[in-house]
Amino acid sequence: MKKVSLIAAIFFGFAMFLTQPAEAGRYGNGSDARDTLQIGVIKTIGNRQFTLETRFEKTAKTYSITMHPKSYVLTNYRGTFKHFTDLKKGDLVAAYGYMKDGKWQARQVKILDPNHYLVKRLAADAKAGVYYKSER
Amino acid sequence: MRKSFLFSLAAVVAVMFSYTVPAHAKRGDITDFDKRDWMVVEPKVSDAPLRDYALCYDAGGVDGAIGVIGVPSMRTYRHIKCGVDMHNFPWSGSNAGNNNGTPDGKYLYVSDKGANTVVEVNLQTGWAERIFALPVPFGIHHSAALSPNGKYLWATGELSGRMLKLRLEDGATTVLEIPPAPSAPDYPDAGKAGRYVFSGNYYHSAVMVFSQDPFKLIKEIPVGKNPHGTNVSPTNRIVTVCDKLSATLSIIDTDKLKVARVIPVGAGPLHNQIDSLGKYDYISCFVSDSTSKVDLMRMQLVDEFPIHYRVGHNSIAPDDAYYMSQNKFSTGLFTPTGIVFAVNFELQDIDESSDTYGKSVKIFPVDGEPHEARQIFASLIQRWNTGKGDDLFNKGYDLGDWHVDFDHGPGLKGGVHPQLEPVHAANTKKWWVPRDDSKPGIVKKGDVYEVHIKAFSYGYVPRFIHVPQGAKVRFVFTNIDKAAGLTKNPDVTMGLAVYGYYGPRTMIIGPRGMSMIAEFVADKAGEYEFYCQHFCGPIHLEMRGTFFVDPPGGTASQSVGDYQSVSEQEQLLDATEGEWIVGTNKLRNTLHEGSEPTI
Repeated sequence: MKKVSLIAAIFFGFAMFLTQPAEAGRYGNGSDARDTLQIGVIKTIGNRQFTLETRFEKTAKTYSITMHPKSYVLTNYRGTFKHFTDLKKGDLVAAYGYMKDGKWQARQVKILDPNHYLVKRLAADAKAGVYYKSER
Repeated sequence: MRKSFLFSLAAVVAVMFSYTVPAHAKRGDITDFDKRDWMVVEPKVSDAPLRDYALCYDAGGVDGAIGVIGVPSMRTYRHIKCGVDMHNFPWSGSNAGNNNGTPDGKYLYVSDKGANTVVEVNLQTGWAERIFALPVPFGIHHSAALSPNGKYLWATGELSGRMLKLRLEDGATTVLEIPPAPSAPDYPDAGKAGRYVFSGNYYHSAVMVFSQDPFKLIKEIPVGKNPHGTNVSPTNRIVTVCDKLSATLSIIDTDKLKVARVIPVGAGPLHNQIDSLGKYDYISCFVSDSTSKVDLMRMQLVDEFPIHYRVGHNSIAPDDAYYMSQNKFSTGLFTPTGIVFAVNFELQDIDESSDTYGKSVKIFPVDGEPHEARQIFASLIQRWNTGKGDDLFNKGYDLGDWHVDFDHGPGLKGGVHPQLEPVHAANTKKWWVPRDDSKPGIVKKGDVYEVHIKAFSYGYVPRFIHVPQGAKVRFVFTNIDKAAGLTKNPDVTMGLAVYGYYGPRTMIIGPRGMSMIAEFVADKAGEYEFYCQHFCGPIHLEMRGTFFVDPPGGTASQSVGDYQSVSEQEQLLDATEGEWIVGTNKLRNTLHEGSEPTI
């Protein structure tokens, strides 16, 4: 009887695991492709697309980002507009956009200043174990 | 020897005198000081730059205008006339990003609570350009939320318990009823992934969740008492909700659609602004006169700054260097200029690496009453020198790689850009008199219905007013408030505005010690809420009543009234400008829900 109960409990637990909504547990797992803001460093770039390796997280992730037809690039210092071709490998950027038609499409790419207080704060916090997007 | 000594002494004294006593130039003389180039500011820390890097657009509430203020100089550049009682707005473009979105520099869409409209302001011309006449009954409060693709706007019908989705191309709408009554959809924000819209409902003490397409209510999430400011984070993971009467910030998980955390903040939290990286949230706390700073990674309160005094709305610079408190009261800080006291904006330094971090670096009086403001980089506004207008209207402009043109909805193609100046107050006669101490209620004097109405924190007596259609109405409005201790202001001003058709006819201003009279003809039947348009305290929004204009042989209600007629909003513009008013009850519920994606 005990064995049957144990098997039933395991089966029930497994069924509960499978029936969890896809979103459950997202919080605390760091960045996600469904996030509408990604912060990271450009690793490869070309043809209005780039790959971004996230920063300030426990585990860096890489996303492929496509420029939306109505998107722009600017600096966080005084909002100077730039061209996509001005972006280069190694730039620290914040990409704002959303997942649409299977692609993460940026509406705005902001070139961040490594000396900006928020960037310094995110870096210092990550070093101390407080990761961006509350990754645990 | 003696002679030479005296000569030397005289020479020394003469030289000393010439250095210690400056020569006073005669009037009209040109001195070196006059030759200074006054356009060049000396590089002192205290000097504001001549060219501001950001612009703050502020919905000025009772002045019916949008103020444009430079950041960080805090100088007012202009006021854009919009209507009766302006509350808040999103930018055109996309709502990707924080509350400032990712604007394209073309328009903002400001709600007019007094007139029941949304006004489109062309940021490049600096004038109102179109009026979205919302369906009636509605009673808009906020129009804060734009869809990710920038084509739809959500607005709350606080005064009728409704919500709507509006198509910016032509003003078509879908209107939802939000039962059970009483219901007050308040401050909305749209999810940035095209899925949900969130809005507080202060009578329900809940945040409502709607799907964006099809537009329908999914659920209500219980939060603290009387929620107000509701903002989606730039990552789209959480919604931050100011629980006005609970002194907490509720954090809603957008996947699970339930409260994940409740964080204690200062007393009377009204609005919140998340920085552009989603790290910190700044909460305006009306009762505690402070700004609470919450770390959204740690999920805890990390700092608090004093403000002066009684903050309502707030905004944040696009580079996250400055935060602006939009304070409801100034409490003796400024020189009086009339019977309504000055209100102010206060610039706070939030750059953690700055010597003045956490300090108020500028504080100055503003026109109207500060409502929602948002800040953009000044680089979005084009430098249209003389002779280049053709480029603006026909060719558009470039934001880096994005070429922005001005073609949009019907009636505005082909480079047509109206200069609208909607009516602020009209068709009424108003004056102040010594305080009226007669009993509250309605008295008929000849052919005039005289309504003696008393206002206090937080309500009106009488609460319901019935007059027959066609009646001459005389409001005798008296502020009997005695809550000065709570508001820290000896002269808190009360107001009364009937939304919609009667908005420009009322807008009554009631300082203590006197009464205001407003006379007008109640020629349009219907049930219209009235509200206090002068911020008077934490439960100011809940200060409401209902004005019934009963048609012959019947009683006005939400379904009995001249609603088609009043929705046309012909009173707001000159008759020749009617084509710039779009929407109205004719386009109510004409969106094709389920096939108009918002992303």
